Amino acid sequence: MTDTDQHSFTLVITGAPYSSQAPQTALSFARAAVAARHRIDRVFLYGDGVHLASALVTPPSDETHWPNAWARFLTDHKVAGIACIASALRRGLVDEGEQKRYELTASNLLSPFSIAGLGEWVEGTVKSTRTLYFHGG
Amino acid sequence: MGMLIVIDQPAYGTWAGREALDMAFSLAAFDQPVSLLFTGAGVSWLRKDQDPAGIDQKSVAKNLAAAPVFGIEAVMADRASCQRLGLDAGDMAAGVTLVDADAQLLSQFDQTAFSA
Repeated sequence: MTDTDQHSFTLVITGAPYSSQAPQTALSFARAAVAARHRIDRVFLYGDGVHLASALVTPPSDETHWPNAWARFLTDHKVAGIACIASALRRGLVDEGEQKRYELTASNLLSPFSIAGLGEWVEGTVKSTRTLYFHGG
Repeated sequence: MGMLIVIDQPAYGTWAGREALDMAFSLAAFDQPVSLLFTGAGVSWLRKDQDPAGIDQKSVAKNLAAAPVFGIEAVMADRASCQRLGLDAGDMAAGVTLVDADAQLLSQFDQTAFSA
């Protein structure tokens, strides 16, 4: 990749924060890509990666708050952060719409993340020039 | 030639393979060309007559049997992995092609995604 190549990236994160390094490696990549004038089209959370979008994550105060760090990046750079709905519901991550639909006692989706289907990932793989995967294992 | 989804995780004990299969079905549902490659511990998906009721699981073979219906272009198994796990053609569900999962195979696809 030379300096003149402009890329647009879809990032897929499948590893959870605090049990894998996937979200922080992905964030380091995203910051470097933006600094090099590439574009991040969207970030898609899949499998255990959806835990990154939980508003209830509360690490000790001397540790990096990865959901908040990612939320800040998404807001600052106007990047869509999407959690797969099937992965999210299985793992206890719901927005207000799903809370109502399933009559749950609470919702816990961190802004500006949203919940949507795998079609968002498919669209990313088609539209972006590169799709990168950040796995937990 | 579209995307190759590589399932290298065992059929039971982890959800990663199932979620990778969902990705393949989703691509096919949106008319994107997609093929499946089972390799490593992932070839355990292909054993026929699976009965995981004893571990309160549904058979992944049933999910996989829907691949042609969804329009998955090919279901492939890595030959060396099958040999290592004692799986010969007679043990395998129908419709699986034995291949050598090498650089030449991967180069036939535009994108590759792994289960993990």
